[in-house]
Amino acid sequence: MCGIGGVKLSEPGNIGERLVQMMSALRHRGTDSTGFALYGPWQEDRLIVRLRVADRERLAETLNRIEAALRQAGGELVSPPTWDKADRARDAFVRLEVTPTVDVERATAAWIALGPSASLRVNSVEVHSFGHSLEIVKDVGDALAVAERHDIRGFTGSHGLGHCRLATESEVDVAHGHPFWARPFPDVSIVHNGQITNYFKSRRLLEQEGYQFSSDNDSELISVLIADRMKHGQTFEEALRYSVTALDGVFTYLLSIPEGIGLAKDRLAIKPMISAETGGVTVMATEEQAIRQVLRDEITTKSYAQGEVVIWER
Amino acid sequence: MGTMTVVRLDADTLTPRQLNEKLRELLASGAEAVVENPRSRHNLGVALPGPGHVTFKGSVGYYCGGLSNGGSIAIAGNAGWGIGESMANGFIRVRGSVGQSIGASLRGGTIVVEGDAGPRAGVAQKGGVVVVGGNIGFLSGFMAQRGKLIALGDASDGVGDSLYEGNIFVAGRIHGLGIDAVIAPPMPEEIDEIESIIAEVGFPLKPREWKKVVAGRKLWYFDKREGQTWLKV
Repeated sequence: MCGIGGVKLSEPGNIGERLVQMMSALRHRGTDSTGFALYGPWQEDRLIVRLRVADRERLAETLNRIEAALRQAGGELVSPPTWDKADRARDAFVRLEVTPTVDVERATAAWIALGPSASLRVNSVEVHSFGHSLEIVKDVGDALAVAERHDIRGFTGSHGLGHCRLATESEVDVAHGHPFWARPFPDVSIVHNGQITNYFKSRRLLEQEGYQFSSDNDSELISVLIADRMKHGQTFEEALRYSVTALDGVFTYLLSIPEGIGLAKDRLAIKPMISAETGGVTVMATEEQAIRQVLRDEITTKSYAQGEVVIWER
Repeated sequence: MGTMTVVRLDADTLTPRQLNEKLRELLASGAEAVVENPRSRHNLGVALPGPGHVTFKGSVGYYCGGLSNGGSIAIAGNAGWGIGESMANGFIRVRGSVGQSIGASLRGGTIVVEGDAGPRAGVAQKGGVVVVGGNIGFLSGFMAQRGKLIALGDASDGVGDSLYEGNIFVAGRIHGLGIDAVIAPPMPEEIDEIESIIAEVGFPLKPREWKKVVAGRKLWYFDKREGQTWLKV
């Protein structure tokens, strides 16, 4: 199953609370993990990085190694690192602000290569997002648990995505939770409901182009596929349309860039999506009851046909 | 019948199960119920008996009216997936539009949608009537075995795919037929029947160019000379 949703505001405002409410309304579609892609104000002079360090006890030491690797990749910290306040947790979620001079892929690869933590048998560092505006926060559990630990409700911005996951194709852990960042493209994120059946072939093709993937999740692939097409000169809409024929399987996904949110739906129209718009608030979600959390009154909603592509521009 | 009391229920204060238990009791006694604040929740008004009536004062989610065996339901807003799924008998009217698979496996009764219906309307229909005032979505009537699916608007691609003995009547444009679906001219008495159904449920009568979609029956029996048809499946 999985539930996905998005919010876009005509003027910056609270997107965190709205997305948490929507994902709570969709919790019956999956509580393996919940995540949010939040677009705050654009900061030209820095990139915001969201990381997960698996072993909290070794956080200080890991942060030193992260900073050293950052320097080697041509970046500097703009401010001291901050992290979540769940002191009893085994892992830590870190937020960095770094100079935009950094080689994003080089830093990402170096951080991931910092090595597995012997005690937890998982990579010690996961890189969840890079962006002048984008911040991805995702964790295991339902929307309320994730919102509580990661302080989502107060987040203000222009738009954002949410996802609640019922895993079908890959691991149940934070790294395979949504949203995904289109590594190494800053500010590109995706939430996806579905399965891509030509995943391995499409991934091999992108790997031949030099892309590295941070998970075995098919949704990560879609975001890189779209970002790669845009890098090669396609418009957002052209890239979304390309994916409808390039990808096999059943899917409805929301892909976000700083300029807005795009939707693409597979050719069999299996996975649902409903949207509504009123008073400068545009909301889209897997089920209408999630929309009703944000827009309580009855208003006209729109649904989408097979192979349809839509863009909600900021 | 004397004076009928209308019982008001607030879906904000009841779980779907509590609400459905109350509705079953009320409808079995022939009462009229009004449900406020449905807020597109799923599984409201499921498995209702006759002969009473319930009005949802807003949109409902998935499976409203499913498994019912009588009674009538009016939905003032939109409805989600699987409205009236496997309903044996009863009447459902949706003021707005509906999502996927309206009347899936419908066995009897009538479902009316004033707006559009999403993909797979009347999928695996086994009886009863579905009337859609607007358009019907992709793969509508898929594998329908019996009953009538009537669209006053257009049919999207793939209409009537892999049909058995279900009948689909389309007044508007057919964007594309499904595998093994063919357009047959409707008989005058079939048109009379369709028009009496739509008049009865309150759609205005006007000249319409009815197209009837039925099975081409090539998928009913395996014939290796028809291999290409099977490969498309």
